[in-house]
Amino acid sequence: MVTRRTLLKTAAAAAATSVFPTPAIGQASKKITFLTWNIIDQKELIEGWIKRFQAARPGVEVEWLDKKGPDFGPFYQTQLTAGTPPDVINTQGALGLEYAAQGALLDLTPLLAREAAIKSRFDANYLGNWIYEGHNYMLPFYITKTLLFYNKPMFAKAGLTGPPTSFDEILSHAQKMTSGEASTGFMTLNFDWLYWPLFAMNGVQLVTPDLKKTAFNTPKAVEVLDKLAKATQANAINKISWTGRWVEPNGAFGAGNVGMLHAHSPAYFFFKGQGSWVTPETLGVAHMPGFYATPNSHGLGISKGSKNPELAWDFLKFVTDNGQAGELAERRKLVTGNIAVDKASLAKLEKEDPTVYAVLKTQLEHTDKMTGNWRFGNDSRVKEAFWPEVQSALLGRKDAKSALADAERRMSRELARA
Amino acid sequence: MTTVAGAGAAIPAGHPRAGWWGTQRNRQLALIACFLLPSLVVFVLYRVLPLGWNVVLSFQAWSPLKPAQWIGLENYVEMWSYDDVFWVALRNTLIFIAASPLAIAAALGIALLVNSDLKGATVYRTIVFLSYPLMAVAVGIIWRWMYDERGGIINYALRASGLVDRPIGFLQDFDWALPSVIFAEIWQVLGFYMIILLTGLQSIPQNLYEAARIDGAPAWARFFRITVPMLRPSLFLCIVVGILNSFSSFDLVYIMTNGGPGHATELLITHIYKSAFVETKFDYAAALTVVQFSLLVVLTIAANRAAGGNAGAVERD
Repeated sequence: MVTRRTLLKTAAAAAATSVFPTPAIGQASKKITFLTWNIIDQKELIEGWIKRFQAARPGVEVEWLDKKGPDFGPFYQTQLTAGTPPDVINTQGALGLEYAAQGALLDLTPLLAREAAIKSRFDANYLGNWIYEGHNYMLPFYITKTLLFYNKPMFAKAGLTGPPTSFDEILSHAQKMTSGEASTGFMTLNFDWLYWPLFAMNGVQLVTPDLKKTAFNTPKAVEVLDKLAKATQANAINKISWTGRWVEPNGAFGAGNVGMLHAHSPAYFFFKGQGSWVTPETLGVAHMPGFYATPNSHGLGISKGSKNPELAWDFLKFVTDNGQAGELAERRKLVTGNIAVDKASLAKLEKEDPTVYAVLKTQLEHTDKMTGNWRFGNDSRVKEAFWPEVQSALLGRKDAKSALADAERRMSRELARA
Repeated sequence: MTTVAGAGAAIPAGHPRAGWWGTQRNRQLALIACFLLPSLVVFVLYRVLPLGWNVVLSFQAWSPLKPAQWIGLENYVEMWSYDDVFWVALRNTLIFIAASPLAIAAALGIALLVNSDLKGATVYRTIVFLSYPLMAVAVGIIWRWMYDERGGIINYALRASGLVDRPIGFLQDFDWALPSVIFAEIWQVLGFYMIILLTGLQSIPQNLYEAARIDGAPAWARFFRITVPMLRPSLFLCIVVGILNSFSSFDLVYIMTNGGPGHATELLITHIYKSAFVETKFDYAAALTVVQFSLLVVLTIAANRAAGGNAGAVERD
């Protein structure tokens, strides 16, 4: 008869055996994880890279994970908390700086100092996007900044000879191309400070150079915001500029009834797919007045919690070298921040696809006029303090003066807490 | 469960089966506990412990890579005194809750129709219920496109019928955004409320209505004096579900408006999410969660009291 004592003994024995470690079979391999931001369309390319990297390093394994933008942050934060952050990460915009400020990323400065040839691969202005408190935390993976696309037939119909050369010309051009509900003159993307050139070209500064105090609540900023709000009310600036994110504004420009779109270079491929009107003859490409542009580049960094930092650095160098960067530039039609690769890529595009060449050329010009790329360690909080107030004014909910005053109060608090 | 006569009687001391384990009642209780244990363990691990940790976290300054530091009520002071978005989100959440009775009233109307001799009632019941099993993300995407200012079917219908001459930016307008999201939410849960209320209606004894008819009670009197009181448990369930939906409609708001424009559609749950995962203020998000949880408990207790206590149970003779 099976007694209770026998049952307990058996259960205890079974539990004890599960505690013994399984003996390792074969040699343990080194493994790193590579987390990318919404680049699953390049699955074949990246898997090819990984295969080549592994083949050259027996015993090494690279696991690739890809997350869409909204999922990236929560995923990375939870992995950080669990103590298992992906070794190499690809982030968009200023997110890399926030992670650097939190202490999540490895300082690449000593590695770049040790291997000067790696540092000299990259455009200095773009590489500098990921310098936080004097330390470099990321390398460029692929780079973008904003530019002005314009609809040449709409320009011609409104009697306009060329793109605007000042802020007031943007508004007057926009007004001339507006026709009730049928067409609108200007549209911009608004996420990640992409709209900031509209303020920068008017001499508005967001913060003091030391990033500690606000500097935007000035009569000039009030005037600019007020003009933008009035233009929005008059439909010269499409409201979607301030309420949409990516699909809506680009879709609207692709529909062919928006005169100008202020967006970064990837927008071209999106609206080209949407709009049959987009041809080399009908699409104009230009810099914004003053050559101001907000970068929204993708960087590659190494998590501080990586168990194989040297291998991760090796992988970083591999992905950004001429071979892999060249493949990425070729397949995705972008610029990588790798000087040699971008030069070769543009030379090829100039002959093969002049429109794409014109778009991508702007990404490497006037990089000293990049704006909207403050090295905040709390960029999300600063944005959250500023943008909703400004959005309220742009959509006519608040007057410009009150909106900027409220934004100043909220942002000052965030800057003080940083 | 039947018990053998005398099963509760104690076994004499000294007998191998004496003590707590000796009585059959205690052995039955132990068996019940064994069956409940796995669920209770999961409940404690995934609900009670995280809730406890969350409360502790709300009094700390913490981030994934820095050790926790006790800061007392600082997060709560921040919330009450400096965070305008918290008050907007709280107001919007309460508006969401206040809209639940509208959905319940509509569902009751549909349930009464479906419970009648209406031809095709079964088909209508199925059609109304079809929206409920849809994922909230799918509902959000569908309604976002329906509300679209340029190509949405709602604006098309309004303009085609001459009701408006300019399209309405339902999800871009500060005044329209929240009602638009609430309407989409009501559309989704209407079927669920209808089924609950229909079940309640079908459990009301018909002799009560017959007696009332014989006594000459008009239809409205039968409705308010018999139907509504007898539906109390079902109505209580719908109200509680409505309150829970208001606190957890993250998917719908995130997909349709992401809390915008401005914070016009921000709910407590979306504010918590953004504080934690966008602004990496996990400690502050924990404090917001404590406030939300407390509000949820208070509202549920109030709903229970309003329903007559005991989850609205009706004593039947």
